[in-house]
Amino acid sequence: MANTIDSIKQKLGTKETITWCPGCPNFLILESVKRTIAELIEESKGKIKQEDFAMSTGIGCHAKIFDYLDISGIYGLHGRTISFAEGIKLGNEKLNVLAFAGDGDTYAEGMEHFIHAFRHNEDITLIVHDNQSFSLTTGQPTPTTQQGYKSKATPQGEKEKPLNPIKLALAAGGKFIARANARNITQTTEILKKAIKHKGFSYVEIVQDCLIFNKEMDNKDSMMYSVENKDKAKAEKLAEEWDYNSKKGKIPIGIIYEE
Amino acid sequence: MRLNILIGGKAGQGINKVSEIVSKTLSSYGWFTFNYRDYQSLIRGGHNFNILSISDKWIASHESKVDGIIALDENTSKIHQKELKKDSFVLTEKGFEDLGINLNVALAGALIKILGIEKKFLLDEIKEQFHNSESLEEAEKGYNSQKQKYSLKKLENKMKIINGNEGITQGAINSNMDHYFAYPMTPATEIIHKFATLSEKNNINVVLPENEIAVINMALGANFSGARAMIGTAGGGFDLMTEALSFQGQSEIPLVVYLASRPGPSTGVPTYTSQDDLDVALRAGHGEFPRIVLAPGDPVECTELINQAFYLSEKFNALSLVLSDKHLAESEYSINKPVHNIIKVIESKRKIPQKNGIIKASSYEHDEHGNTIEDSEGIIKGVQRRLKRYEDIKKEVKKFQMIKIHGNKNSKNLIIGWGSTKGAIIDAINSENLDAKFLQVLYIKPLSDEIKEYIEKSKNVILVENNITGQLGRLIREKTGIKIEEKNRILKYDGRPFTSDELKEEIKKRLK
Ligand SMILES: Cc1ncc(C[n+]2csc(CCOP(=O)(O)OP(=O)(O)O)c2C)c(N)n1
Ligand code: SF4
Repeated sequence: MANTIDSIKQKLGTKETITWCPGCPNFLILESVKRTIAELIEESKGKIKQEDFAMSTGIGCHAKIFDYLDISGIYGLHGRTISFAEGIKLGNEKLNVLAFAGDGDTYAEGMEHFIHAFRHNEDITLIVHDNQSFSLTTGQPTPTTQQGYKSKATPQGEKEKPLNPIKLALAAGGKFIARANARNITQTTEILKKAIKHKGFSYVEIVQDCLIFNKEMDNKDSMMYSVENKDKAKAEKLAEEWDYNSKKGKIPIGIIYEE
Repeated sequence: MRLNILIGGKAGQGINKVSEIVSKTLSSYGWFTFNYRDYQSLIRGGHNFNILSISDKWIASHESKVDGIIALDENTSKIHQKELKKDSFVLTEKGFEDLGINLNVALAGALIKILGIEKKFLLDEIKEQFHNSESLEEAEKGYNSQKQKYSLKKLENKMKIINGNEGITQGAINSNMDHYFAYPMTPATEIIHKFATLSEKNNINVVLPENEIAVINMALGANFSGARAMIGTAGGGFDLMTEALSFQGQSEIPLVVYLASRPGPSTGVPTYTSQDDLDVALRAGHGEFPRIVLAPGDPVECTELINQAFYLSEKFNALSLVLSDKHLAESEYSINKPVHNIIKVIESKRKIPQKNGIIKASSYEHDEHGNTIEDSEGIIKGVQRRLKRYEDIKKEVKKFQMIKIHGNKNSKNLIIGWGSTKGAIIDAINSENLDAKFLQVLYIKPLSDEIKEYIEKSKNVILVENNITGQLGRLIREKTGIKIEEKNRILKYDGRPFTSDELKEEIKKRLK
């Protein structure tokens, strides 16, 4: 089986030169995504093919995945990946649609689409590469950046408190809300598979650091623990456990809520 | 013979019902009508009015002086007193005070009697529209309350009444559109309702996303994966879509946009009319990429040009914009010739994901697989491909009527106009058989080379537009180097359309 999965994964790659910084967690996310698709294809025993997937992306470091992943799709606009993905699904409901986004992309530029996506509940999967920074534009703070973050744009340190997107997703009526750790490929793959299998809109927030501009997630593995939860009240507590700011405490990783 | 009747009242009183009953009755009586709607941006109260123009010949405009007023409230006759001609009539709510919501039906009945039309035509129409005996009684009561003033003869024309928005809807259906994405904005809003009513029968998915940015990007997503979607909006919403228009240029996913204008800038005057948005339709979106801009002048042309827009978009993976305005979109026209020219929208050669394997579309400059490139050779290829596409479009559109000539074809006086001014210009010429020919521009981009020839052949060129800078005039100057003299530009920019009687006087002053 491993062999088949490897060969499918091989086909999911392209010949394009990868321009992410060496060691960028986006490589790990790409690997998780390839494994996810490969395993879904393999497990379906011929029912699902590579052509049955489509993606859309925003614009940013995360979005470069478009060039490195050989599935159909739209390399979209900053903040608009959700709309493109919803449209692709409306145009052909047989496609499995993945929307790749950045945190700046989703929580700043395209926030309206994020909130409404839960209500529209199109059967697509949103994957946010949350590196708590506008990286491709050289590291300005986004809505999930920690307080005090220093950048060329905020030499005195970021003043605002970060937004907690998991809480927001719950409030918006999300029916599949998960958080993944980019560094944990096995677990991220499991989460992504469940997200794609979920009927309706699924949202996976992947925390990653940006090696160049914001290494905020670098020393947090020890705070992380796994969850798989279907209880709404508990989901609200889980969402509160980490506020994207604190350096101590617990960070739940896994399915925070599935209805 | 031509009459103009003003029907006024507060929003919610049902002045449109009066227009509808009367114009449909006249329609089955073989008479042509044109109904101009002047209403404010409010839901109840205020002062709204329609001018219903009636004629034994084809018309597509209204006049500024009226032969009668139907007043559903006191204000109406006060406000419009000065517009009355000599020997005119005023019908008020007096005598019908106890009717409540049926006041409009009674007044419609009264007007039909004044016009001298047999009662039967009224009652048939009322039966068609209402399914209760009360309305029938009130209509008859209204009819019986009046004396006949005119005696319109029965004519044999077969007609139907439609507005520009309905024309657009029909054209989209003729083109097998399957998704309509929109966010409400006057004067394009009505299209949402029309498609929603037709959705089941015609298999149309009407989608109202969170805003115009989502509207256009979703439509592009849907077209990418194989749908045939259209979007519709007005100026403000169109501005929000600008980035995605440019995305269309790069990704080459076909898209048809319906843009219905109202006076701007900004929120402007939401329920009134203007031709302010030609410039923005031509230029919105950064970067250099092809587009098609079409301007129908009546509901039949709306149907035909939306169809051509779909055809061209599909054939060339292009962006087609169809321009209208409040006046064309919402005024009601009598149509006596059906659309005969339905072009089959052929599926484009573009590849569809899943069906044709793995397909990529991109907002970055890209290679033939859709993957990002930055090398100069690749960029040059992309830029030239887009230019070449426009050259191909320019060749293809020659098979359509890019301009039309109306009026006196041998005249040396040439009037140039586009869009909703068509009706008033033609009616102005026809009313006194003016020595003028009217060149109507339907294709704004690409622009027909013939325009230059017509200008060069004429002695005197007059421009008519519903904006202050003469946007088509400027475009013609850009393309031909010919400037239409300042004094020969008839420009109106008070949010109101041209009336044919006023326009006729303006034209006459300038004829040579
Ligand atoms: C409308 C628009 N505004 C700004 C930009 C410039 N821009 C390109 S990438 C980027 C930041 C992306 O940040 P994020 O979405 O967090 O992705 P990351 O690069 O961190 O992966 C911005 C602002 C753009 N492409 N489009
Ligand atoms: S800037 Fe940051 S997010 Fe972008 S590629 Fe480099 S490490 Fe990755």
